[in-house]
Amino acid sequence: MPLPTRIIEAPLRLLGEYRVDCVIVGGVAAAIHGSSLLTSDLDVCYARDSANLKRLAEALQSVHARLRNAPEGLPFILDAETLRRGLNFTFATDIGDLDLLGEVRGIGHFEAVVTDSVTVELFGYRFAVMDIGKLILAKRAAGRPKDLVALPELEAIQEAQVIANDSEHEAEN
Amino acid sequence: MRVRIEDHFLYPPAGSAAARAAQFGVDLTLTLGNLRLTPEERIRKLDGFIESVAKLKNSTRVKGTADATADENH
Repeated sequence: MPLPTRIIEAPLRLLGEYRVDCVIVGGVAAAIHGSSLLTSDLDVCYARDSANLKRLAEALQSVHARLRNAPEGLPFILDAETLRRGLNFTFATDIGDLDLLGEVRGIGHFEAVVTDSVTVELFGYRFAVMDIGKLILAKRAAGRPKDLVALPELEAIQEAQVIANDSEHEAEN
Repeated sequence: MRVRIEDHFLYPPAGSAAARAAQFGVDLTLTLGNLRLTPEERIRKLDGFIESVAKLKNSTRVKGTADATADENH
């Protein structure tokens, strides 16, 4: 079995190529902000309008997405209607794992998550990334040990962002 | 700006979030190293770690299988 390569970059490129409207959340968002903690899958909160669900379904079909940890042979039709009927999905794909969240605990649906998000250019595409304050709230709300252990570093990064912003304002004045 | 953040992480003021993180056991020099990178470089670094871990797991598994086979042949 070939070893995985670029298992975060490849799903990001896929979402960018299919113009999926989403916000990067979770461990990858933490890494983008500067966290040194490891994560091995990409979590995104996605917009649930019909056009976006159609693009998302097409993107997932192109990499043979299947439900992770689902029993072998479980019937599953991957289309926009299935995405509309569900909310949160965990997929394994040919290019890496991808978790789709219709709602982020402690924050809400896409509209709440995208508010205050920061825009970052990655691999030639522009992505919304969850703002670090909301990321901290979400990690705290999730409450699992792996979320809680990430908090001290994220809070230090948030503090560093405040210092950077203050310095920029000082330089302007 | 960068100097201020570097000082803040290397010599965290008492009561700061950086001091609490250091107290918790976070190696802020690693965080600082990440902050020097662009977001895209941070993703590439993360992917590099994931690939290294996968290679290590794979080589351990292969070695374990080889050792077991050798034991059976003795």
